[in-house]
Amino acid sequence: MLKKGFLTTVAALSLMATAAIPARAEVTFMYPEWIAALVEPGIANFEKESGETVKGIKLPGQGYDQRIALDLSAGTAADVNVMDSFMVSELAAAGYLEPIGPLAEKWDQYQYYLPGLLEVASYQGQVYALPTDTDVRMLWYDKSNFEKAGITVPWEPKTWADILDAAQKLKDAGVQYPFQLPAGTKQAEAATMQGVYMALLGADVPEGDRNRLLNRETNQWIGDSPALRRTFDLYHQVYVDKKLNPADLNYATDIGAAVRQSLADDKLGILASGSWEDACLWDCNTPPSREERDAQVGWTPWPGSGEPGAKTTTNISGGWTIGINSKATDKDLAFKLVTAIFDEANFKAWTLSTHRMAVRTDISESPEYMADPFLAKATALAADTTGRDTIPGYQTVSALIQQATSDILDGVSVDEVVQNYHDALVDEFGADKVITYE
Amino acid sequence: MKNQANPWLTSNLLVLGLGMLPAALLIAALLYFTAWAFAFSFTDLALVGTKAVDWSWVGFQNFERLFTRRGFLESLWTTVIFVFFSALVGQSVLGFLLAATLRGTASRLKSVIEVCIMLGWLLPDIVAAFLWSATTSQTGLINAIFVRPFGLPPINFINDYALPIVIIANIWKGTAWSYLLFSAALDSVSREVVEAAKVDGATPFQRIWLVQLPIIRPHIATNMLFITIWTFTYFPLIYAMTGGGPGRQTETLAVFLYNQSFARGNLGFGSAISVAMLVIVGLLSLVYLRMLREPK
Repeated sequence: MLKKGFLTTVAALSLMATAAIPARAEVTFMYPEWIAALVEPGIANFEKESGETVKGIKLPGQGYDQRIALDLSAGTAADVNVMDSFMVSELAAAGYLEPIGPLAEKWDQYQYYLPGLLEVASYQGQVYALPTDTDVRMLWYDKSNFEKAGITVPWEPKTWADILDAAQKLKDAGVQYPFQLPAGTKQAEAATMQGVYMALLGADVPEGDRNRLLNRETNQWIGDSPALRRTFDLYHQVYVDKKLNPADLNYATDIGAAVRQSLADDKLGILASGSWEDACLWDCNTPPSREERDAQVGWTPWPGSGEPGAKTTTNISGGWTIGINSKATDKDLAFKLVTAIFDEANFKAWTLSTHRMAVRTDISESPEYMADPFLAKATALAADTTGRDTIPGYQTVSALIQQATSDILDGVSVDEVVQNYHDALVDEFGADKVITYE
Repeated sequence: MKNQANPWLTSNLLVLGLGMLPAALLIAALLYFTAWAFAFSFTDLALVGTKAVDWSWVGFQNFERLFTRRGFLESLWTTVIFVFFSALVGQSVLGFLLAATLRGTASRLKSVIEVCIMLGWLLPDIVAAFLWSATTSQTGLINAIFVRPFGLPPINFINDYALPIVIIANIWKGTAWSYLLFSAALDSVSREVVEAAKVDGATPFQRIWLVQLPIIRPHIATNMLFITIWTFTYFPLIYAMTGGGPGRQTETLAVFLYNQSFARGNLGFGSAISVAMLVIVGLLSLVYLRMLREPK
């Protein structure tokens, strides 16, 4: 009798527990805080039109890449996710993303996306995510500090020596961060892209990909090359030999906030970063007026090293994307949310107001976009750009590069840093996948 | 003593089984995760990319690399320094001194000091990290109070003395635990024993060293055991304050593990690091557990 009663209670409790779990009728969406101005109006429109609810998960930008990789690999990620374009091929290779091509082909605005940018978000010929923006990279500088240091504005450095020279003058004038060159593991992808790759591209001749991390013809990673050594030597000069910048901004609790604060406090000289800073140096979502920004900072293309045959200015482009989790419950609904965010009116308004570089011809060819002076100049810079080596394995290589810059901050010699980098590449990919250039 | 279980319970295997289920599930989950880390430490499993699905067994390669590649041994040394100075010397000694000094004083001052000690403990790690970063920066409070007024050039403490600053922050953060534990332990020492020692002419130092400390020895060992384990694997405060930097100056094993597993994406190597950490903490725990035994 007691047994029967017990079992009945267990059964009843189980039923109640089942009933208490709500039916899952919402779409989940994860995005970094800086892209809220694009995402949130799109979500609102989607909810209004479809009657569905979206659970938005807004996160800080720092550590976002690791979080998205971890969530997707653990199977706990949102249905729709914003992610850095360099991660798309790796995430797709692991089967974490849904191919977006078949869904997008039925959407009338898909035709406007630039093919080169869709290519970056592809793996084995399939598109896995739609780009939100692209970018160019440059050296930003604080005009008032340049005047204080007696450097002519507009500043037009021709070689790395000119940058080091300006940084020395800024240091002598008492500027706390004369040349903020992203370095170290906490900077993550910023150290690779805004720092190392921008220098590397101008450190040697482009032939045979001698100025890159990967030989794109043979798909072999470059473990040692004159370009790598020159690049690491530049870091060594900035952080160790000439002490042209303290390392602490690279390890701040919130790096973006620390950089913005140092600019606001007039403590920043030169900052190696990208086109998004036209808004993000103040506020990614609501930047101040054009006049205010122009009065405070200027920018110049990254010059090459000055080595014979090397490029005179360098540039590399990245960008962000939105993709769908391969485990999303309702993929059509998830894609509908993606199209609501990317709907022309919403997407164009965001692109223009936050000074992002357009990824679609219907926006980039619009009169408003072409009339924006910053975007016009940045687009001109994009005429000579390149992309990351986004084959699977890039994220690991990028982390090893970040570690190399980290070791330089500790005063480790360039020889040892290169040796460690080479050995780690062999550990990860095997000796046949790693080459060296004399 | 004979087992006094309810006869209805012992005769009813289903109920017994159901009652044991939560404990069995918990143990199974703990074993599963440990076994998972142990098994994958022998693979080249990656977080993303093709090796996330198509991994292979690599034998002891990951463990070899702990010793042949830069990183692990340096991080181990940093961790040892961090644990020794922040937990064992800092939190434990300071916690004991505070507990011994404040013992028996039932004043308002004691309450104020207790609240202050507890604040560090109660504050979330990330808030504490912001606080310490801001306080120790070149324009922070320490420079404003102790450096600039004397006409000295400001010092960027968090950059120039990263490890000592992180250690001090952790002492501030964790002393409350040791203080509470030692307070309770000292309260358990009977007043008669201490009074007797006093009557016998023992100095205050002798009363602490020769009377109270031997009595609370098991509490000291318990405290050491706890704070060693969690300081050894402590992550958020260091990561938020310095991210392991500048360079590798504050890269403790927990930060190293995080970077290798989730930035580099090498879960196999990350698992090997975690297995090594498990072994080290396990050995340390054994030492403390021996201390816990009553002397013969």
